[in-house]
Amino acid sequence: MIEAQNLTRRYGDFTAVQGVSFSVGEGEIVGMLGPNGAGKTTTIRMITGFLPPTGGRVTIDGKDLFALPHAARRQLGYLPENVALYPEMRVEEYLAYRARLEGLARGEVRGAIGEAVERCLLAEVRQQIIGTLSKGYRQRVGLATAILHRPRVLVLDEPTVGLDPNQIIAIRELIRELGRERTLLLSTHILPEVELLCRRVVIIDGGRIVAEGTPESLRASSVGNPALHLVLKGAPAGVAETLAGVPGVAAVHPATDQAADGNAAWLIEHTAGTDPREEVFRAAVARGWVLLEMTRQRTSLEDVFVRLTTHERAGHDPAAESEETVQ
Amino acid sequence: MKAVWATFTRELRAYFFAPLAYVVLFFFLVINGFIFSLIITYLSDPRSPAGGPPLTLFFGGTLFFWLILLFVAPVLTMRLIAEELRSGSVEVLMTAPVTEGQVVAGKYLAALTFYATLWAPTLAYAGVLAYNAKVDWGPVAAGYVGILGVGALFLAVGVFASAVTRSQLVAAIITFALLIFLFSFGLLENLANGDLAKQAFGYLNLWEHMDEFAKGIVESRRLVYYVTASLFFLFLASRALEDKKWR
Repeated sequence: MIEAQNLTRRYGDFTAVQGVSFSVGEGEIVGMLGPNGAGKTTTIRMITGFLPPTGGRVTIDGKDLFALPHAARRQLGYLPENVALYPEMRVEEYLAYRARLEGLARGEVRGAIGEAVERCLLAEVRQQIIGTLSKGYRQRVGLATAILHRPRVLVLDEPTVGLDPNQIIAIRELIRELGRERTLLLSTHILPEVELLCRRVVIIDGGRIVAEGTPESLRASSVGNPALHLVLKGAPAGVAETLAGVPGVAAVHPATDQAADGNAAWLIEHTAGTDPREEVFRAAVARGWVLLEMTRQRTSLEDVFVRLTTHERAGHDPAAESEETVQ
Repeated sequence: MKAVWATFTRELRAYFFAPLAYVVLFFFLVINGFIFSLIITYLSDPRSPAGGPPLTLFFGGTLFFWLILLFVAPVLTMRLIAEELRSGSVEVLMTAPVTEGQVVAGKYLAALTFYATLWAPTLAYAGVLAYNAKVDWGPVAAGYVGILGVGALFLAVGVFASAVTRSQLVAAIITFALLIFLFSFGLLENLANGDLAKQAFGYLNLWEHMDEFAKGIVESRRLVYYVTASLFFLFLASRALEDKKWR
């Protein structure tokens, strides 16, 4: 449904986005991840036809966004990062205006507004002036605007930014609901959101796509070793030396969450495919250490993200890096 | 057409929902009423020289008319596009299936309609005159045609200025400066020496245009000038919006 080919955008000498290509299939929910300033919003703006690309092309439902802008935009609902509404209008008036702007026929307007209001839970503020609404409600009005003309493609740029936790849950619920019957491209830098909502992820950094795949496949391909988190009572000496000798263990370092109560926490990286838990336990018993905790560290999407988006630029050593990331 | 209409109705509502409209309307009527009464008092004084019909003097015959227009046009247009650029609402606006031209047209027509609304109450002056004396309606109608023509041009300049900046204040200042230039350009006729130069400046002399309109002379080349110049500025406005929106 969304096809981006080799999108490039330059601002003077600065290249914000360089050769970005990806596609979002019918009914798919794809998350676009990247640190602030990675080029997410620039990419999104090119996909929605707001910003003309310096190079490349975009098609929505097979229609070229620049050759057939009207046909392509009709299939597109867009929630920008900064939801700007007209503060003097009432919610219903605004939606009616948008419906007409989208070219809905007179007879369809009422039904479309009713549906959008219901789905975005706006019934109680329907007659309220937009300027008096809370941020959460404004976000929902923005979302209602995006789905008003029943587009087949939805593009949402950081839909939960600046909301309180309850509002975030409500908006995510709504997004998941909307994603059932539509193609959805979601940009965010909130990682749990992506794992929760998206079946596929595109990671952008420095204006390029650095990784693409399902959250699982990204985790699997992540460069780091699996790890165990260990808490020992007291602070026994010689832990690193002893455990490094256990078969399968690749590295041992103190965990960043050093227990404040005087207990020692360690992080034990082991090679993929091995399970040294039993041996670690035996080694601890043999030395007389009291094992308070042993948990497997699951590589989170967060690790993948941080690895992909920091090490190229900073180039610091992976060990130090995994310590900051595995928490 | 639907998009133009949707934009038009939204902008017109926006005028009437903001205090600005009522402030402008209030002072517009107070000042115009004051000027009209001054004109009547002056003309009905037996010592003053024989003047024309009062409305001829009222429509463009005094400097007040121009001062008011030079002030009103920037105020009515400064918000139109600059505010969309500042707030960022331009992003959802321009990703809807509409063109820059349609947006500019809708906003401009709303400004023009509000401008016409400002002048509507002055029809009462003609009514008052008709009650007390005989009014020649031809020149009155021609006067309103002139008001609409000059207004159309001034507002088009304002819409253009509003599309080149995200600050309403800057938009108003640019409009004001351009209008002063446009207005005084015609007055250079009196300073020009060559015949050709005199004619060229004379063609652009808005004061003279209004004088003629108020006397009942509706010349098609005047109207052609207003319409083409307005379209020119609106075209510039839509290009500016196209270029400015994402910066």
